[in-house]
Amino acid sequence: MSQACPCHLAETGDCILCSQLAGKDFCDCCNWNGVCIYQEYSSNNYKAKESRKYYNCEILEKRRFEENVIIFEVRGSDKLVSELVHAGSYIFVRRPDTDTRFDTPISIMDTDTRNNTITIAIEIKGSKTKALDALEVGGELLVKAPFWNGILGLKNIFTIKDSKCLIVARGIGQAPMIPALKHLHANNNEIIVVLDNSPYKNSFVNKYLEKYALKVVRCNAICRGRITDEFNDILNDLIRNNDISLVHCDATDILNYELMKFVEDIDKSIKYSCCNNAKMCCGEGICGCCTRKNNDRKLRRLCKMQTEPKYVLEGRRIF
Amino acid sequence: MKVVIIGGGWSGCSAAITAKKAGAEVVLYEKTDMLLGLGNVGGIMRNNGRYTASEEMIALGAGDLINLTDENSRHKNIDFPGHKHAWLYDVNKIEPAVGKYLKDMDIEVKLITRVVDVEKEGNTIKGIYLSDGKYVVADVFIETTGSTGPMGNCLKYGNGCSMCILRCPAFGPRVSISYRAGIEDLKGEREEDVYGAFSGSCKLAKDSLAGDVIKQLDETGVVVLKVPQEDINLDKLKLKVCQQYALKEFAENMILLDTGHAKLMTSYYPLEKLRKIKGLENAKYIDPYAGGKGNSIRYLSVAPRANNMKVIGLDNLFCAGEKAGLFVGHTEAIITGALAGHNAIRNYLGMPLLILPRALAVGDIIAYANEKMNSKEGRTNRYTFAGAEYFKRMQELGLYTLDIDEIKGKVEKLNLTHIFNEKLI
Repeated sequence: MSQACPCHLAETGDCILCSQLAGKDFCDCCNWNGVCIYQEYSSNNYKAKESRKYYNCEILEKRRFEENVIIFEVRGSDKLVSELVHAGSYIFVRRPDTDTRFDTPISIMDTDTRNNTITIAIEIKGSKTKALDALEVGGELLVKAPFWNGILGLKNIFTIKDSKCLIVARGIGQAPMIPALKHLHANNNEIIVVLDNSPYKNSFVNKYLEKYALKVVRCNAICRGRITDEFNDILNDLIRNNDISLVHCDATDILNYELMKFVEDIDKSIKYSCCNNAKMCCGEGICGCCTRKNNDRKLRRLCKMQTEPKYVLEGRRIF
Repeated sequence: MKVVIIGGGWSGCSAAITAKKAGAEVVLYEKTDMLLGLGNVGGIMRNNGRYTASEEMIALGAGDLINLTDENSRHKNIDFPGHKHAWLYDVNKIEPAVGKYLKDMDIEVKLITRVVDVEKEGNTIKGIYLSDGKYVVADVFIETTGSTGPMGNCLKYGNGCSMCILRCPAFGPRVSISYRAGIEDLKGEREEDVYGAFSGSCKLAKDSLAGDVIKQLDETGVVVLKVPQEDINLDKLKLKVCQQYALKEFAENMILLDTGHAKLMTSYYPLEKLRKIKGLENAKYIDPYAGGKGNSIRYLSVAPRANNMKVIGLDNLFCAGEKAGLFVGHTEAIITGALAGHNAIRNYLGMPLLILPRALAVGDIIAYANEKMNSKEGRTNRYTFAGAEYFKRMQELGLYTLDIDEIKGKVEKLNLTHIFNEKLI
C-alpha cells in the first residue's frame, strides 16, 4: 500500500494487494498496511489515482568514475527527496529531449534532505544510458518518481536492529548498497561489507564505507558463475564467527542466488535480502516487462511487488 | 499437546476453556486489544430458547461463560417485544471478567496479534503465520475468526466501514484461516443473491438520552419509543442479521435495552431521524461510532464443517461461532466453541469426536444449521435459540423448556453430564 494506491491495476482487477480489486468478491487481506485500498478506490469514485509524475531536476554535479560510470547529483523538491530516503528507492531517469522509451530505472545511491539533493550512479551500457551521458552540469534530468521496490526482502532490512549484518556488493551494486548500509547503521547494527570492485579497479563509495561499515573485506567474489574459493573462505569465516543476523547482496542475480544458497546452507534462520535486478520499463505494473511466474504459480510484478528473494531467484516457471 | 485458537470472541474463549479443561496447552490469538469481539457490544442472554441452551451447557459441564454473564447481568428475566426472560449482561464489565477467568485457568492470550496465513502439509496445518512474519506451530487449530468485516466486505456489501468494535483500520482485517488453508468459504445471503447481512443493533451513549429514558432503562432494562409514522421502514428488517429481532414491532418502535449502554435494536439509523424521536433528541452513537451510516457486514466467511465442528477437507482445523454457520448470538457462539475446543483434543488423541445429540437443543441447532447451509433458502436464514425459524422448531420439537431439573435429567439420561469437564490428557 502506498500513496499511489489504488493505481490502474485496480481499475482492471489486477491489484497486487487487494483481493476485492483482483477479481475476488471478498476480503482476503494478507497484505494489510493500515489502509483499505478498496475503500480508497471507492472514495475516489472507483477510479485510479494519478500515476507517478515527472520532475525536472537540475544537475548540480556530474562526476565520471573510471571509464564508464557517471555519478549525478541533482536537485529535487523537498517532497520528492523525502519520498526517496528509504532503502530500495529508485527512480526512472531520461534526457528531457528523449521520449518515454528512454526511461531508465536507476537506484538511489544517496539523498540529502538538508540540501534536497539526490545522488545516482549510472553505468553506461546501451542507448538509454549513453543518452544520459550527453547531459552536463546546469542542464536538467527528467525524473519519474518515487518507486520503492529496488530491494527484495525489504522487510528483513527494516526489522533488523542491534545485530550484526553482512553486505556483499559487486560493481555498480555499490550504489544501491548505500541506503541499505545507512539504514542498518541507523538501527544500531554492526555491518561488515565484502566488496568486489570488478569490473572496476576501485570503489566509488569509499567515503560511505569509512563512515558506516565496521570492516571492509575486498575480494573477487564470483568467477564463471561460481563463488570463488577466496570468497567462500571469507564467507565461512565471517558468518560462522560473527553471529550474523542478516545478509544483504547487491550484485548480479547469479551472485545474489549463489550467496542466498550459501547462507541457507549454513543457517536457515539468517535473513536474506538482495537488490531487485528485474528489467523495467514503466515501473507501474502495466508494461509487463518485469513480471515473473514462479512455481508457486503466482505472477509477480517486480517493479512494485515486495517478494522474498527466493521466489524470484529460484523456482522460475519456464513453461 | 498444543492447541492454537484464532479469534478471541465468545466462541474462541469458549473453545479455549474446554480445550484447557481437556488437558491441552492453549494459546488464543486475538487481533484487537480486547477479548469478546462483538460480545463487547452485545449483552442479551437467556431470552426465549437461549434459556434452555444455557442450562444444557451448564449440565454438560461447559457453563463457565454462562455463569460469568449471569454474574455480570444488569437485568434478569425481562421481557421485550417477542422475547421473554432475557438477561442483559453489562458490556462494560464482561470483558475484563472473561480475561481474568482465562488467565486464572492458565490460558495464554495473545492480544494485538493477527494471524494472516497457514503452512500446510497435505491436509494438515503445521503452523500459522502472524502479521509480523512470525511462525507458530501447534497440533490442532481452532478458527473462531467470525464472519464480520473486514472493511472491503463492509464496503462492498454494506455502507462502508462504520467504525465498529472490531476496529479493522486500527488492528487490521480478519483473515479467513480456512480459506488460506485452501477451503472455500460459504456465504450467507440476506435476499436472493445479495450476500452478507448487517449487524442487527447498535449502542447509544446512555448519558446522551433524556432523563426519564435513562431512569426507565436503569429500573426496568427496557424502553419502547414510537417511531414517527413517516420514518417507519419495514424494508430494513430484511437487511438484519438478527432475524429474531426482525419483527414489525422493531420497525414501528425504537426498542432500547440497558446493557450498560443503551442497546438500540436496529442495525443503523440516521442520526438526524433518530433525534426526531422524543427522548433521543441529543442521542449519540458509541457503537458503531458511525451508527448513523451503517453497520458491520457479516456471514461472508462460513467454513464447511461436520457436526463435530471439524472443518471438512482438513485434518486438524476446527471452527466455531459464526465461522461455523449462520448462527446469531453469544450463546450460540459459546456452545459451538465449547464443542470445538473439546473435540480438538479428542482429534489429537485419535478418539471418536463428540457429536451433541439432537435430543438436546444445543445438539439440534448445530446439526440443523449445517443441513440448512446446503440449501439456497437455508442460506438466507439465521439460526438462533432466541427466535425466528429455529425457536419455532425448538417449541415444535419440545426442546424448549425452562425446567432446569428436566434439562439436567435429559443430559444425565444421555450420559453426558459434565462431559466437558473431563480431562482427556
